[in-house]
Amino acid sequence: MTDLRRAKYVALFATEARSLLAGGRRTLDAWRDTPADAAPAEELFRVLHTVKGMAASLDFTALAERVHAVETTLSEVREGRRVADRGWLSLLAQDLDDLAIRCEDAILAEGGDAAAPEAPAAAATRIVRVDLERLDRLFEALGALVTARQELDRQAAADALSPVARAAQALGRHLDRLQDDILAVRLAPLAEVLERLPPVGRDLARQLGKDVEVVIDGDDLEVDRAVLDLLPEPLLHLLRNAVGHGLESPDERRTAGKRPIGRLTVQAHRDRDAVVIEVRDDGRGIDRERVAAKARAAGIIEGDDALGDDALLAILARPGFSTATELTELSGRGVGLDTVVARLHAVGASLTLTTVAGRGTAFTIRLPTRLGIVRSLVTGVGEERYAVPLTHVRELVAWDPAATRIDDGRTVLRLREEWLPVLDLRRLLRYHGAAPPTERPAVVFEANGQRIALLADRVVGQVEAVVQPIERPRGMPRWITGATVLDDGRPALLLDLASVV
Amino acid sequence: MAQRILICDDAIFMRTMIADILTSGGYEVAGEAESGLQAVERYKALQPDLVTMDIVMPDMGGIDAVRAIIAHDPNARILMCSAMGQQQLVVEAVQAGAKDFVVKPFQPARVLEAVKRVLGG
Repeated sequence: MTDLRRAKYVALFATEARSLLAGGRRTLDAWRDTPADAAPAEELFRVLHTVKGMAASLDFTALAERVHAVETTLSEVREGRRVADRGWLSLLAQDLDDLAIRCEDAILAEGGDAAAPEAPAAAATRIVRVDLERLDRLFEALGALVTARQELDRQAAADALSPVARAAQALGRHLDRLQDDILAVRLAPLAEVLERLPPVGRDLARQLGKDVEVVIDGDDLEVDRAVLDLLPEPLLHLLRNAVGHGLESPDERRTAGKRPIGRLTVQAHRDRDAVVIEVRDDGRGIDRERVAAKARAAGIIEGDDALGDDALLAILARPGFSTATELTELSGRGVGLDTVVARLHAVGASLTLTTVAGRGTAFTIRLPTRLGIVRSLVTGVGEERYAVPLTHVRELVAWDPAATRIDDGRTVLRLREEWLPVLDLRRLLRYHGAAPPTERPAVVFEANGQRIALLADRVVGQVEAVVQPIERPRGMPRWITGATVLDDGRPALLLDLASVV
Repeated sequence: MAQRILICDDAIFMRTMIADILTSGGYEVAGEAESGLQAVERYKALQPDLVTMDIVMPDMGGIDAVRAIIAHDPNARILMCSAMGQQQLVVEAVQAGAKDFVVKPFQPARVLEAVKRVLGG
């Protein structure tokens, strides 16, 4: 088999084995309520048999043998030589989790499932597989069309009844449909990623002598393939964190008057043009005092104020902070919370935290449903325009020189009870044109858990920015991530505030 | 004209693999089915020259599908695809009317040989 064809089959294996094992796990959970039923055994046999056949075809010999061993265990019940009692069923559950994890390891050893084809729809439809690169080209062409249309709309606006204006309207309608259709092709169900979580969570819990029930909800939501591809890492991190640190041991839970089995929910829902995924545990909550003490000792914070959720996350997400303290106790896999937050920010996604002592912790990831089109706030400096993703923007305030002071050589702005560091776009961009206007707005944004006031000359408005890659001359700062063309046909550069900080 | 083959397997992975092997051998894939029931329906609708049939499938297994297809068309040419350790089931399938079998994991040359044999006979 050539490498390319092998990659195709590995991707098929990834999609199909995951979905079969997740379905098998659901069958098993239902079987626990009706252990005398024969149908679940047949269904599970079919699942295992199919996974084994695929694994053997890819020469995943160890995996195929392991599946075969589980199949053999199952056949004892299928042939009536054994009764499916509670103990046997939970051993089988462990086996299924173990297989799911071994599948992931096998996929990873092949370099991942990056070539994953679009999830197949109903069996009856004919399916064409298209690699993402070709779709990206279509998407780029669409971006250029959207920009050209904006210019046409501007020209046509002069006389709304002219034939050109009517043609522009018709073109606009077709373009909207085309945009929806192209975006829809790139959609894939969240289940592809969310289904991988329960086995990993349960397996880790077992290793740590804990017991956890992982509940997934909203996995039928569809998101852009590119968004989906960046989810496994942050989600696995949050899951391991919740099981490792959030959840207590069964004894501790009993003492606290809780069910001995911990509960972890991963719940996805759509909120306007974002997808929100919440990872919630019903564990002990994060110990604010301890984190604050550590942060004080490290000179990160001063004073004795209690930490709010935002401040807590900001500290935990500092490079090296969490990894250096608690997370290292977990199996060596994965990255630190700092990296997770940085990667989410890089694509316009955000992470927030809520934690209640004794009750549990929830991390919430908020993602744009599609990458490539970013809702942005356009600011101006002199004649130049700069767009910043709205995900980071918290509020707009008028710049009041009387509310500033110099603190340790840096300008800070007082906003209600808080002193925010100030970042002047003029200085950042080394702009030496006309003098600034007397009244300037400050865009309060949040990046890496930190709130900062970005000082501009003016705010131009909001746009759906179609991001276009730019040629990068030497020395161009990395926080300039692309360009977009505004309604009036003039360009604006896109700033990634998270990496400015 | 290329001979037309109906592929029956519940796994997309396997259907893709069989389709790749058959296409490389100059055959045409007439259609795919992912359950025994679908295999019977598609056989009637597509009238393929040959059927590759998996044994373990949901909604009517491969062997019952062989019986139903043979009942509809006694001259149907069906090639069983079995896993290791399913000899007993293969024997049952052949008694039901299947012409030959190949064993997973597939070796392209073996599959093409078997297809040629069944179509030639």
